[in-house]
Amino acid sequence: MVNVIDYVPGTTLLHRLNPVTKIALAVALIASSLTADSPIVLVSLLALTLAASAYAHVMRQVRSFLKLLIPLSIIMFVMQAIFVRSGTPVFLSITNEGLMLGLMVCLRLLCLALPLIPALVTTKLTDLANACVEVLHVPYQYAFTFTTALRFVPVFSQEMNAIMEAQTARGVEYDTPNPLKKLRLMLPLCIPLLISSVGKTDATALAAEQRGFYLRTRASAYKRYPLAGRDIAALALCVGLIVLGIAY
Amino acid sequence: MDPIIRIDHVSFSYGEASARALDDVTLSVSPGDFLGIIGPSGAGKTTLASAMSGAIPHHYTGPLFGSVLVDGKDTCAVTLTDISQVVGSVLQDIDTQMVASVVEDEMLFGLENFGVPHSQIEERVIDALETVGIADLRERDIATLSGGQKQKVAIAAILALRPRVLVLDEPTAALDPASSRMVFETLRSINRELGVTVVIIEQKVALLSEYASRIAVMQGGRIALEGTPSEVFSHSAELRSIGVDSPRVTRISNSLAARGLIEAGEPCLNVREASLLIQNLCKASSPAPRAAATAGADRAIATAHATAGADRAAADAHATAGADRSTIASPGECGMAESPRRPAVKPGASPVVRLRDVTYTYPGGGASVRHLNLEVYPGEFVGLVGQNGAGKTTATKLVNGLLKPSSGTVEVAGLDTRTARTSQIARHAATLFQNPDHQICRDTVLDEVAFGLELGGVDAETARERARAVAEDFGLPLGEVPFSLSRGQRQMVALASVVVLEPELVILDEPTSGLDYRECMTVMETVRRMADRGSAVIMVCHDMEVVSDFAERLVVMADGEIAAAGPTHDLFADESLMKRASMRPPQVVELANELAHTVSPRFLGLYEVLDVVSCTEELVLHG
Repeated sequence: MVNVIDYVPGTTLLHRLNPVTKIALAVALIASSLTADSPIVLVSLLALTLAASAYAHVMRQVRSFLKLLIPLSIIMFVMQAIFVRSGTPVFLSITNEGLMLGLMVCLRLLCLALPLIPALVTTKLTDLANACVEVLHVPYQYAFTFTTALRFVPVFSQEMNAIMEAQTARGVEYDTPNPLKKLRLMLPLCIPLLISSVGKTDATALAAEQRGFYLRTRASAYKRYPLAGRDIAALALCVGLIVLGIAY
Repeated sequence: MDPIIRIDHVSFSYGEASARALDDVTLSVSPGDFLGIIGPSGAGKTTLASAMSGAIPHHYTGPLFGSVLVDGKDTCAVTLTDISQVVGSVLQDIDTQMVASVVEDEMLFGLENFGVPHSQIEERVIDALETVGIADLRERDIATLSGGQKQKVAIAAILALRPRVLVLDEPTAALDPASSRMVFETLRSINRELGVTVVIIEQKVALLSEYASRIAVMQGGRIALEGTPSEVFSHSAELRSIGVDSPRVTRISNSLAARGLIEAGEPCLNVREASLLIQNLCKASSPAPRAAATAGADRAIATAHATAGADRAAADAHATAGADRSTIASPGECGMAESPRRPAVKPGASPVVRLRDVTYTYPGGGASVRHLNLEVYPGEFVGLVGQNGAGKTTATKLVNGLLKPSSGTVEVAGLDTRTARTSQIARHAATLFQNPDHQICRDTVLDEVAFGLELGGVDAETARERARAVAEDFGLPLGEVPFSLSRGQRQMVALASVVVLEPELVILDEPTSGLDYRECMTVMETVRRMADRGSAVIMVCHDMEVVSDFAERLVVMADGEIAAAGPTHDLFADESLMKRASMRPPQVVELANELAHTVSPRFLGLYEVLDVVSCTEELVLHG
């Protein structure tokens, strides 16, 4: 699951865009899908996201995310269809408005969640952080905190796995079919995990300081992230998307 | 030359703690030194490194007395950032050292921060990567690297900053012997070619003695011994009382000296030296006309027997072999030795573990094991060895049921792991993990030790009673919070909770890593007693000396397959097998092999310090 947002190397246009532009595109898609009222617009936004993902060869990541999302959106659809009472009945107590609303909810969920995936998997986290510092003037401390937090996700999940394995080997029944029991058994594991994470973050802070963390300024970064012509074009597209969302 | 780091009467304690982590330490490091710091756990090694790198007083606070001068400046008077431009440090836990997810960005981080002109950055990155020999890893994701590669990235990232001193805290703790040696080779070339001063904390004495130019031994926050490796390791007995191991070949030459066969003084530090020493010794004393160099040996012959020194040495060498061995090879007895311990296998007993043509592939691809066949009987002590990534850990996970075989069958105590739940298997097979912190989850030591029994269905009262007996036997503080104990003691808690289960099978994954010599011996002795009582033991271990001392059967893995299985010392003596599995046999076996070729076939098959010493003595005295 964690690997869904791992960087996928490539040289497509999407890869070469400025990280900030990519995030702007994703945000524009999301904003547009929030304001749009027409399912056709939502479907086109979704199609655009999927087309971009396919173009950047990151459909595998998108698909594994969809596997989680589709059951969720189906549940949303069914709930809306069953519980919305207004409108004319189509089948039993299900009304046309309920179906429509269900469709909108389920499309919107997909439109909200998907755009960030292609944007993130085509960007190295350090590039994203550095570009935010350079283009958006975000203080480096915040960018560093953000990238470190994301970098620690797999480290901690490995740690958690190791702890789970050790406990399973001791005979704790994580292989129990009862999910409540499993949850109750997992709670005590927070202690070892917490202890190791506090230690790790402290060590990281020390390591960063010993490599001149506090000397860093906006101009320190070796790699530069200028906005190129393609970025300007993409930003224009962003504006277009938002206008589209508001208009329809 | 002025020292680059001068530590003058420094004492330090962490925060409010009353115990002093450093106690009146005086030490100076000259430019170009390769200084090794060694000592039992809790002796203050990491604290000393922190004082050198400026982490004390800038990151860890507490009362600090005395002064630390780095490049002539008092570390209290300048900032940590300033100190770190002179002293680069590599921390113990390499995952926390990393700040980026790609090697290149990791390299850039420090360079960017310290404001290295952008025109020089590219050159510095390439230089550092090439010095360490990882130019091909530049674009790689750090998470996909092996432990040894990560260690090199960490070193390269610091090296790119061109520090004048490099301080490393146990850089090889998680590495196999081959990768450890590679790290030391890298450090040597940095030290010799770039003139970077190296300060390294390390437990692997054999490596230290070979690479370091000076060694400081710490004990209880003080520096107990300091000097060249030869000077330090000539104090074998003193080192042992501190809790520091000596290389086995050093023990051999020290024992020879104690028996009066050679003059005391410069001990041997590697197999080559020891081999030459014994060759010369035996040649000199052979019936043929004696060379001038035999003066020492002549004297030795006169005094070899009946000196108190010799007796002490015999007792000494015996005790250090780490074993309550049943036979003491008397002087004059020479030849094939027995296996390290007589296995308590009863004839006709059925195996505790049976692997039949087991294959396992990880879902995402990557490492896999193929066609494993193995049977382990009650009372047997099996060592599982091989390079990192050879499939040892996968094999142990297949045995304790954490992984289920893709094909073939694994039976543990009669249970098929594919149908039995892991928690059921856990009642028969107990695992001691490399990192005790992964298995500790209760509030007190007593609860922790009793936890496994309770999980196995023993009622709370009986469980606590049995736990109390075992924990007291180990001398553990029953009411303490386990996480407040030292690393070594936490490992003992984890061990106690394995012992209390009285399992049919014990699986050990690197039981000795991160432990000092004395803790290591306590753990291994305990495991040996369990084997004597009839538990089968499977041990994954990188320390070939430990394997040689304790395991009577060896399983060598290479590339996911069992390359060979058989009596430990037969396999260690098999040079082509060792080469194939990228392993190095224990020093004593390597030495005995060499001597068997060059001096006398009587050395063949010896694997203990004492046996080699006795055999040499025999040859010298009686030809």
